[in-house]
Amino acid sequence: MSVQISGLNKRFGSFQALHEIDLTIETGELVALLGPSGSGKTTLLRIIAGLEGADSGAIQFYGEDATARAARDRGIGFVFQHYALFRHMTVFENVAFGLRVRPRKTRPAKDEIARRVHELLSLVQLDWASNRYPDQLSGGQRQRIALARALATEPKVLLLDEPFGALDAKVRQELRQWLRRFHDEVGVTTIFVTHDQEEALEVADRVVIMNQGRIEQVGTADQVYEQPANPFVFSFLGNVNLFHGRVQDGQARIGSLELKAPEHLAEEGLPVVAYARPHELEVETTPVETCTIEGVLRHANPVGRVVRLELQRIDNDELILAEVPKERWRELGVKVGDIVFCRPRNLQLFAADWAF
Amino acid sequence: MSISKQVESKANPTSLSEPRWVRWLLITLALAFIALFLLVPLGVVLTTALRKGFDYYLIAITRHDALRAVGLTLLTALVAVPLNALFGIAAAWVVTKFNFPGKQFLVTLIDLPFSVSPVIAGLIFVLLFGARGLLGPWLLAEGWKIIFATPGIILATTFVTFPFVARDLIPVMQAGGSEEEEAALVLGASGWQTFWRVTLPKIKWGLLYGMILCNARAMGEFGAVSVVSGHIRGRTNTLPLHVEILYNEYDFAGAFAVASLLVLLALVTLVAKSIAERRLEVGRHRRLSRGDREFSPAGRLADEQQEAVQDE
Repeated sequence: MSVQISGLNKRFGSFQALHEIDLTIETGELVALLGPSGSGKTTLLRIIAGLEGADSGAIQFYGEDATARAARDRGIGFVFQHYALFRHMTVFENVAFGLRVRPRKTRPAKDEIARRVHELLSLVQLDWASNRYPDQLSGGQRQRIALARALATEPKVLLLDEPFGALDAKVRQELRQWLRRFHDEVGVTTIFVTHDQEEALEVADRVVIMNQGRIEQVGTADQVYEQPANPFVFSFLGNVNLFHGRVQDGQARIGSLELKAPEHLAEEGLPVVAYARPHELEVETTPVETCTIEGVLRHANPVGRVVRLELQRIDNDELILAEVPKERWRELGVKVGDIVFCRPRNLQLFAADWAF
Repeated sequence: MSISKQVESKANPTSLSEPRWVRWLLITLALAFIALFLLVPLGVVLTTALRKGFDYYLIAITRHDALRAVGLTLLTALVAVPLNALFGIAAAWVVTKFNFPGKQFLVTLIDLPFSVSPVIAGLIFVLLFGARGLLGPWLLAEGWKIIFATPGIILATTFVTFPFVARDLIPVMQAGGSEEEEAALVLGASGWQTFWRVTLPKIKWGLLYGMILCNARAMGEFGAVSVVSGHIRGRTNTLPLHVEILYNEYDFAGAFAVASLLVLLALVTLVAKSIAERRLEVGRHRRLSRGDREFSPAGRLADEQQEAVQDE
């Protein structure tokens, strides 16, 4: 493994930014730290970089303790959200900086530095810009220069703080795919912070989902999306519908729905919550089985090739979101105000006292 | 009143500003003020200085005492300005890059020399280093004469001019943030390398601006220096003190001749200041327009087209 974090705590005044963080990152992995703002993801990244100190806990790089090591001795590359390019230096000087500040005996010769810088600049496809100043480049170009600069010192771990946060949607989409290809090419262990779930799920090998200074779940994009560990992960990664119910005779009863409660939730009378994503709801015009929920169609929104439906439950007035394909919507032939029935294909059950 | 004005300007769209006579009155008032309080005194200084002829003027400013006063003033500025540049950078660095309890108190302390009367500042040093002061007797015994000597003048001047550099640098460094410094550290630069290669280039115009103001005040300081100098002619007289002595001796031509030197210094300082100011503004504009470009679709489009062309 290349980075191992154990028992990390960090407090800013009375605010607990990180709480007992344990995390292991394998060599060559591309990992995303994902969470809402204030979840501690950037703080964790800055502590790994050595830009911030932890109150307790340890960080190891390749099996060596690095907790007390200064940022400059950690052998990491860091890309800042707002690039942090040196604006009084040309692109070339920016990328060369990390090599030029080395002590004389480890500093490469002048032409070796020039060769390396041009190599990196062509890697990020910006060799033509080497004599420009950062303010003469666009946001996306500056971000790539920042990446080239971070790679110049051949870091063992590359850290990126919201790398595409300051860019607009289109450039963001392009750079995202570019980063993935780039990582596969260079193969350096990479950790990046993002609050954009789509970005994390699309780019990363593994996603670390954080909330209120704790890690909620670590897993591949499929794992966290298909088997969320708790309601927070479930609702953070997209829209969800909640159904409240209780456990009776080992069965979770949610309205007229019944499903088998897993063992840890088999306690009699336990309040439970079932979660279903909008696309996991089937919509019918007639009640087909016992397990149906009756609702009035309030809105129908065609979005691309699906139609988003907003239903109001008859029994408790709660709103339900459903998503059906366009063809299915035409088949149904219902209009706003009609009564429809829906049936969750898939429900995830959690104890109702789970707090978030 | 503002409402009636709005109504009026709507009714008469050709006059978007004040009536003509108001504008002329305000402009005349402003010009009269400048003339009375800036140009007339300047003229008086020069005419009085030359009243006894150019030869007398030359003699007045090249007399031994005058030359010594010029020398002492230059020496004082030469020590006080670099010292305050150093202190100012250190203070601005601490205040802008770190968070610690008592920070606000420290910022207030930095301003203290501005809020204390210079005479009081001078007295503080007399009480500290004077012959009957707190540290004076011991220092005198060791052979260090501070008060009524050059060290006292330099100390008092340094104290009075301390806030200039720090005050000018704090906003510059705050606006600059510390991401570039962090980037340099992560790239392996030492603290020293980070300062010389990243921080100093970023703040140099702000620093220069502060140093120019500091220099102007150091050369012109009267109150605090007057208290600690002892007015020994040819030894502890700076330019402002020398002017005062000549004036008190009814040598008006001489006094104003020496004063014209200070005026000259002030003019040079003003020119240097406006150049530094312009460079500061240019830097700020560049940063601003760069920020704008990110949000302007046209600018970005142009960038991307250019990038696409050049990528091929």
